[in-house]
Amino acid sequence: MSATQQIEPNIDHYLAEYARVERELPGSDDSKRERQAELRRFSDAGFPSTREEDWKYTSLRPIEKRRFEISDEADTPSEKALAPFLPAGLDAFRIVIVDGHFSAVLSGLDGLPPGATVRSFAAYLNATDGASIKAREIDEEPGSLTAMNAAFFTDGAYIEMAAGTVVDKPIHVLSVASGARDERMTQVRHRYVMGENSQATVIEHFVGVGDNPYFTNAVTEAVMGRNSQLTRCRVQQESDKGYHVSSFFAQQRRDSRVFNHGFDLGGRLARIDTNARLVDQNSEVHLFGVYAPTGRQHIDNHTRIDHATEHSLSREFYKGVLADYGRGVFNGKIIIHRDAQKTDSAQACDALLLSDKAEVDAKPELEIYADDVTAAHGSTVGQLDEDAVFYLKSRGIGEEGARAILTYSFANSLVNKVGIPALVSYIEAALLAKLPGGQAYADLA
Amino acid sequence: MLSIKNLHAEVDGKPILRGINLDIPAGEIHAIMGPNGSGKSTLASVLAGREEYEVTQGSVTYKNHKLLELDPNERACEGVFLGFQYPVEIPGVSNLYLLRAAINARRKYHGEPEIAAIDFMKLVQEKIDYVGMSMDMVKRGVNEDFSGGEKKRNEIFQMLMLEPTLALLDETDSGLDIDALKVVADGINRLRSPERSTVLVTHYKRLLEYVVPDRVHVLYKGQIVRSGGPELADTLEAEGYANLETDETAATS
Ligand SMILES: Nc1ncnc2c1ncn2[C@@H]1O[C@H](COP(=O)(O)OP(=O)(O)OP(=O)(O)O)[C@@H](O)[C@H]1O
Ligand SMILES: [Mg+2]
Repeated sequence: MSATQQIEPNIDHYLAEYARVERELPGSDDSKRERQAELRRFSDAGFPSTREEDWKYTSLRPIEKRRFEISDEADTPSEKALAPFLPAGLDAFRIVIVDGHFSAVLSGLDGLPPGATVRSFAAYLNATDGASIKAREIDEEPGSLTAMNAAFFTDGAYIEMAAGTVVDKPIHVLSVASGARDERMTQVRHRYVMGENSQATVIEHFVGVGDNPYFTNAVTEAVMGRNSQLTRCRVQQESDKGYHVSSFFAQQRRDSRVFNHGFDLGGRLARIDTNARLVDQNSEVHLFGVYAPTGRQHIDNHTRIDHATEHSLSREFYKGVLADYGRGVFNGKIIIHRDAQKTDSAQACDALLLSDKAEVDAKPELEIYADDVTAAHGSTVGQLDEDAVFYLKSRGIGEEGARAILTYSFANSLVNKVGIPALVSYIEAALLAKLPGGQAYADLA
Repeated sequence: MLSIKNLHAEVDGKPILRGINLDIPAGEIHAIMGPNGSGKSTLASVLAGREEYEVTQGSVTYKNHKLLELDPNERACEGVFLGFQYPVEIPGVSNLYLLRAAINARRKYHGEPEIAAIDFMKLVQEKIDYVGMSMDMVKRGVNEDFSGGEKKRNEIFQMLMLEPTLALLDETDSGLDIDALKVVADGINRLRSPERSTVLVTHYKRLLEYVVPDRVHVLYKGQIVRSGGPELADTLEAEGYANLETDETAATS
């Protein structure tokens, strides 16, 4: 940043905040220099503005005008406060981060198979010579918020699967914002390193419990080795005072497969960027998502799939459920690069408007530079089928109940794709609980 | 049971029912026939409470209720059942779930406790046998990937489960092979009792050979233009609806 350039007061705040916490941040002195470079990248660019095409519909003003601070330690919530966020019957390894700090007491990692590492990212950085704050295997993590995260992140989950390792139970990565103090930020970074032929399922779960406004800025890196498979279920249930921004970057080697399921139920404002780069042959990415802004929530999903070389496959299906004054954005960019012959790609985004005050902008965005490809895409925005509403009412079910049941039916096919029954039920019940009259039909889940 | 007086209904300002008068005493089965577009489904929908149709004149009494003042779900809880001409599909919501919710809605409405899971399953087991459906099928989503005939069987299954006092069956016999038709007829006959009434909307005399109606009415251009005993169905089958124009003049004058 040049000395003459005017520094926005809010950026100034984050520079000062970095100076305050730098000593406490995990990692070597070298990694602190990496962090400083990232901080400069953030302060030069500032927060994204609605003048940028990718941010046209999502204003970060409410985040910019606040002065969020790193929590020096966790305000660990009570068991009772956390209980609703632990899916009943879910048999999983668990790593818990509270206010950006690993919590050994809440985590449960016993019994991991040999070859599987699940630990605090901070502990990994501190213990590993030459560990880098950003995965070297990932080409680029564009965006000023990812830079902010790289500068500030305090902890996260570090998961590494040695070649051939298969973990049969899901790994529940739970990041909790206690909301116990005003204007705190949790900057978490997760890294999943999938060795050749390894396989794992990660439930990446963001929840908020308190009453105070807070900011979550999360980045997840997935380094996909040859023929590895990652299923990532991202469940976003920030509190209604939570501002959530997150980015996912997967870099996929030959024959690797990523199944990414996103469920955005929470947050006052949420912006999620999901990126997959298919840099090698025969790699696959499947992106599924359900977003459900109700009340005055604003939820924006941007996805980007780069088919960089030939013979790769992508499937992408998103569904939006918008009620009350809910505002949704979906932008699904698929770029089929010049060398990506024989790419097979399909995308669809459907949105259901449950109120005339709700609004959605959902669009696929396809850029094709190769000539021998299969690429299909579609987009629909609609309302509930009134014939179906009447059908249910004619059986004795009230108006709101009928609408909740049909909304459940709309989202159900995508939720089911998660394939973990306890998690499917949990998500469906959480979705129903958000809908007027839905609570009475929570047993559908 | 049901008394319809001078019922007029329209959709988007277009009159469809133009003065229907019809009395259906308890214990009787009445068939309503008539050419395409004459208003048969509209009549059934208005009785079941579809809001799309605006009732502009007339009244309907059902048991002690002013039927038109009840919401569709209240009508259902009071024992009205509509078998749909085109049943809808609701993927991901099982037939069993819908039925349990429907039964419990009725119970709640009448201040009764929810049905016990075991009693519910016993009831299901008994009724699926009557209609030749399998447990697997009823565990699937409501009408999800059902054939036309299976959807109609499912309507009868729902009717048997809900035991309505007034069943309005809109072409439940259309598009069925003879086996399925017998299932539908058998279902209707099973519920036949002095406390229940049924309205059969049909195009075909075939059903009426298995379910002999007490009365047959002809609906034409939104009015009942002719009524008679079961033999009227034979006349209509032989002559078609060609002479109805004159009937209509007779009815309005
Ligand atoms: N929702 C609607 N909007 C507009 N017109 C309608 C609507 N419902 C019915 N109509 C019209 O009202 C008339 C009667 O329709 P209805 O479906 O009641 O006939 P029907 O006697 O059941 O015919 P069919 O034997 O073909 O089932 C038709 O002209 C139809 O097009
Ligand atoms: Mg009809």
